[in-house]
Amino acid sequence: MIIEGAIIYSNLLVLLALGLTLTYITTNVPNFAQGSYAIVGSYVALTLLKLFGICPYLSLPVLFIVGAIVGLLTYLSLKPLIKRNASVEMLMIATLAIDLILLGVIGAYSEVLSQIVGSTQAKFVFANLDFSIFGFRGILFVSTLVVILLLFGLYLLLYKTKFGIALRASMENPSLAQTMGIDVEKTRLFSWILSGALAGVAGGLLPFMQEIVPATGDLIIISIFAASIVGGLRHISGALIGGYIIGISESLITYYLAMAFGAGFLVYGKVVSLIIMIATLLIAPYGITGVDWKKVRKRLFSQ
Amino acid sequence: MSFDIISMILLWFGLYYIVSLSLNMEFGYAGIPNFGKALSVLVGAIAVGGILDRLLMLYFKINGDFITGSTYATSAINTIIASHPIVGIGILILAIILASILGLIVGAIFILPSAKLKEDYLGITLLAISEAVFLICTYNLNIIGGYYGISTPDILAFVSGEYRGWVFAGIVLIIAFLVFLFFERLLNTPFGRVLRAMRENENTVRAFGRNIMMLRIKTMAIGSAIGAIAGVLYSLYTVNIIANAFTRVDWTFFPFLMVLLGGKGNNKGVALGVLCYVVIKVLLDIYKYNIKYALNIPFEPVWLSYMLFGVLMLLILYYKPSGLIPEKPILTPPMKKKIAEIKQ
Repeated sequence: MIIEGAIIYSNLLVLLALGLTLTYITTNVPNFAQGSYAIVGSYVALTLLKLFGICPYLSLPVLFIVGAIVGLLTYLSLKPLIKRNASVEMLMIATLAIDLILLGVIGAYSEVLSQIVGSTQAKFVFANLDFSIFGFRGILFVSTLVVILLLFGLYLLLYKTKFGIALRASMENPSLAQTMGIDVEKTRLFSWILSGALAGVAGGLLPFMQEIVPATGDLIIISIFAASIVGGLRHISGALIGGYIIGISESLITYYLAMAFGAGFLVYGKVVSLIIMIATLLIAPYGITGVDWKKVRKRLFSQ
Repeated sequence: MSFDIISMILLWFGLYYIVSLSLNMEFGYAGIPNFGKALSVLVGAIAVGGILDRLLMLYFKINGDFITGSTYATSAINTIIASHPIVGIGILILAIILASILGLIVGAIFILPSAKLKEDYLGITLLAISEAVFLICTYNLNIIGGYYGISTPDILAFVSGEYRGWVFAGIVLIIAFLVFLFFERLLNTPFGRVLRAMRENENTVRAFGRNIMMLRIKTMAIGSAIGAIAGVLYSLYTVNIIANAFTRVDWTFFPFLMVLLGGKGNNKGVALGVLCYVVIKVLLDIYKYNIKYALNIPFEPVWLSYMLFGVLMLLILYYKPSGLIPEKPILTPPMKKKIAEIKQ
């Protein structure tokens, strides 16, 4: 039961961390608005459910598109700053500003929606809508399926198409890629759109796991950053590894702490991921994928 | 009513000016993107709620649980303050000293995990630590009462209600002015100039034999100590502490907005930025329901203000990244001499 929850949570974190890592690799901006992207998705799913009676699972394609639009808009509003070669601090502040705007929009929208539907929609969950197979919750299968589909799609895109090769080249070395005639601008645009889209899908699945309020995005951003940093912000596979490490340890360690010291510890999940993140930064600042494993092995064997 | 608005503006100006000055030293001078500024303000609240209230409970020998105990302790001290104003001032000074010491320690520890990090990782780590401490303080009722809240001593219990706002605004403004003088003196020294050099190029500073880590620790320790003073004043003004009030938006994002609006690296410019923001904030706070019904917006005005300030921040970044009053080059005596020579 607890492992089931941990896997679902990890799947969602992978979706979110992957977007964060993608945009960081291509544009060098840690995007503080990533959490709010997901909540935009959650509220769109809620709207479709309440107004048109569409099951949240079926609205995932719509969320993909809505998220993509949010990602695109973010990139367009960052573009003047990137063009001017603004420092990374300024870009981070800009994403914080976008996060605040999104929070305002979501909060305002939640109240408008409450008036349309006629009951308060500020807090909601989808867990009661879920189906179950063999005693497992449906979200377990759906989220795993989404991650597998995503990885398969990314694999095809990155390794089997010309655009993917260009994309990988501009991730490895943007200036060299530019000299070879690759349009770096296009790869950036693509990464932001994909990042928003993935977050939107994650947002549609998140209410099956936990209660959503307009400010939830500000809370999950800690776990997203922890996942990306533990895995390594410089490598796409880092998000996958980091997402599972943080997701599983956040759920399991908190659970065992709560077993040992009482239920009060359940609220400190974010502290667990923060500690893992700080430990990673101290030992291997570039994350697990940033470690030179050959060197480590050599050092271990020589002793 | 209109007089009250002025006292509110003065009070918030003082509070935010203290926070923004400390952020200006960290971000404007030293180039540390401290996205965890809210933590230092929270530390001030911990000094008042977590330490001072407990000391009072010990002094009045009140047992029992912390939240109700602190209510008894504060009402006991309030009756003493009402007849002996000097006790109130003493408590204010004690709280400020406690908060500064705690702020120095927390600030120095706060930056340690990010010892060898670049700007982006540094900013993320600071934000995450601050957010995690905020969460702990909100959910753990034993630190400062969490979301339930605790009361704090009313240091102006001897002043009647209608003048309390004005007297408090005066105290806050005096302290803000002292902080301003402190930073002007501190930053117009070789220390201030080496901070600016660190912002421009860390490697050069390292090449000249300065320890970057030590500089960062010193900056964050001083910055957090000053930020904590603002936290003390805020929690003593509101006479209670609710941990939810120390959010990232209020105490990290808005100070960044003020510093960037005024001009980073320029303490006088920051004053202008703070004034602009505070006037908008107080007017929005007071007239929010008038605005809501006049414009017929179907949601709480707070969301509108979030959108407004977010857009304002983006506009500043696009069109006025150096702020209303940009930073000026520093004219040290040798530089002035050189300029005079060139002019001749």
